[in-house]
Amino acid sequence: MIKLKSSTLRTFTSVHTWVGLVAGFGLFVAFYAGAITVFHHDLQSWQTPHTPLSAEQGLANAQQLLDETLARHPKAREHVGMVFPGGEYPQAASYWQDESGTWRYATLDNLDGSDKMPGGALSELVNELHYTLGIPVAGRYLMGIVSLLYGLALISGVIIHLPRLADDLFALRPGRNLKRFWQDAHNVIGVLSLPMHVMFAVTGALLSLAMLVMVALNPLVFRGELMAALGPAMDTAPVATAAGREQPMGSLAMLHARSVEVARAQGLASFEPAYFKLAHAGDANATIEISGESPGSLGPVGSVAFNANTGAVLATQLPGSRDANHATLASAYALHFGEYGNTWVRVLYFVLGIGGAFLFYSGNLLWVESRRKRRQAEQGRAQAGMARATVGVCIGVCVAISVAFIATQLAQWPALRIAGDHELTVRVACFVTWALCVLWAALRPPVRGAQELLWAAAITTALVPIAHGVVTGAWPWLTALQGQWSLFSIDAGALAMAFGFAWLARATARRARDGEPNSVWADPRARAAQVASTLVTD
Amino acid sequence: MWGRATAAAIPGFLLSAGVTGLVCWLLPGPWQSTLVPGVVAFFAVWMAAMAVAFQFRDGKRAWAWLGGGAVASLGALWLLQTLQWVC
Repeated sequence: MIKLKSSTLRTFTSVHTWVGLVAGFGLFVAFYAGAITVFHHDLQSWQTPHTPLSAEQGLANAQQLLDETLARHPKAREHVGMVFPGGEYPQAASYWQDESGTWRYATLDNLDGSDKMPGGALSELVNELHYTLGIPVAGRYLMGIVSLLYGLALISGVIIHLPRLADDLFALRPGRNLKRFWQDAHNVIGVLSLPMHVMFAVTGALLSLAMLVMVALNPLVFRGELMAALGPAMDTAPVATAAGREQPMGSLAMLHARSVEVARAQGLASFEPAYFKLAHAGDANATIEISGESPGSLGPVGSVAFNANTGAVLATQLPGSRDANHATLASAYALHFGEYGNTWVRVLYFVLGIGGAFLFYSGNLLWVESRRKRRQAEQGRAQAGMARATVGVCIGVCVAISVAFIATQLAQWPALRIAGDHELTVRVACFVTWALCVLWAALRPPVRGAQELLWAAAITTALVPIAHGVVTGAWPWLTALQGQWSLFSIDAGALAMAFGFAWLARATARRARDGEPNSVWADPRARAAQVASTLVTD
Repeated sequence: MWGRATAAAIPGFLLSAGVTGLVCWLLPGPWQSTLVPGVVAFFAVWMAAMAVAFQFRDGKRAWAWLGGGAVASLGALWLLQTLQWVC
């Protein structure tokens, strides 16, 4: 039993409350969209038009794309990146910065390049919701601040729970005292997933604010030499200048094989090249840095740098033999994205992500519950407002994301002949749905709005596999029989979530009818109907 | 509350920079070799510093202690760097 001063408890309780309320909405969206983003590779196959079995590209396609990119785009000869097709990415894609510094992307279907990242609108939209809430430019920094507040909420939450943390860890007390029940649920999920939350708070802040913070730390701590030191700390290939002499480049097949050979020689059981960075292509000093995954490491991505013409090794940063900078960077990324270990790690991340979303949702419910007026049916404006906002924003984003899934399939259905920008269609469907949900929740009594939006979420999410089946013919039972687990897992996941939403909708209806009458979650009309029907049957 | 919140953001940031910087520069080897771990740790240290800011009785005390710590740690780091006792 740990004793804390009551003033300390009071301070940290209000810190936790306010930080939680400010950051809670953003965190709910980040966790719900982030849990889906864990499966972004599967989502990319699900969203691209596919016949039940589409052919995969190979190294020859990658070579063709590289040759074409270098021939057509002079700026790409200075620096170009590319993903290898197969495994992680279904198709080869190249990317470089043009004269104005804008990133350009090319694929074999679009050799002239475009400003849009290939891979599809839906996975990119869900990912953007995850780290920007869909707000351009400022959204990223906003979510960085949300991550910092999240860290503060974790520390203050643990401090106020500390006196009872051990005793109450496995307590989940249902019954008349609803606040106690929600409090228990909030605490047990918070404590058991604390290590994951601490990791997300730190890596989330890192991924969104690192550049800004480094600009501030540079003069304070690093004597203005930080930016020059960043390249060697984060890249593997040494910085080279062009020699000005032409020399033909080695083939991708040779360099690909060399990277596997070098990794094996360093004792790694396997190395699966995923992407590369090529500098000064066609010059005598051309360098290539091939990055790939070796399973069995917390930071599975390592890289090998070669002279791109001869295949001579310049430097390596591979699991087990890399410096602190590269090991930390690879681990921080892998930890945040759940990209170490096998499918079960991703399933665990999904479950913990949904659990995290629940943590923030229950936090808001607790705020409403602890300000409930126990002796009157009429509740305060603040409580009703918070209940409406929580329902509209949180359940609304679940509906909006499911609608975006459906829109993705319908937009590519030839039968509908939807003209125009596919990406824009999906985005409009998502954000308009979200806005309508928030509006609906604002106009309805909170308990009605909650039930209606939960049913909307259940129905739209259940329609996701149906839209997929109708448009592409890849019904879940067919994809399961053919072993197309990427497609199957998205559809099966959507069905499971649909049942979850329906269960929550029913639970909310039960609470409205039978629960404490003096609350924003009570529905006098449902209660009256219940009483009337018992009178009739009696 | 606002006094302590601003103390968490401003002198809290500077104190975290000083503390993380001292650890990175005092570790053996060149400072460049602990660059990435240092930046990652900075965020965790800053979050802790923000929590500490709320431990003080009022905003003035939080500003004074965190600000004093920031001046001391950044000053010590600057002195060590200028005297080239660390590299």
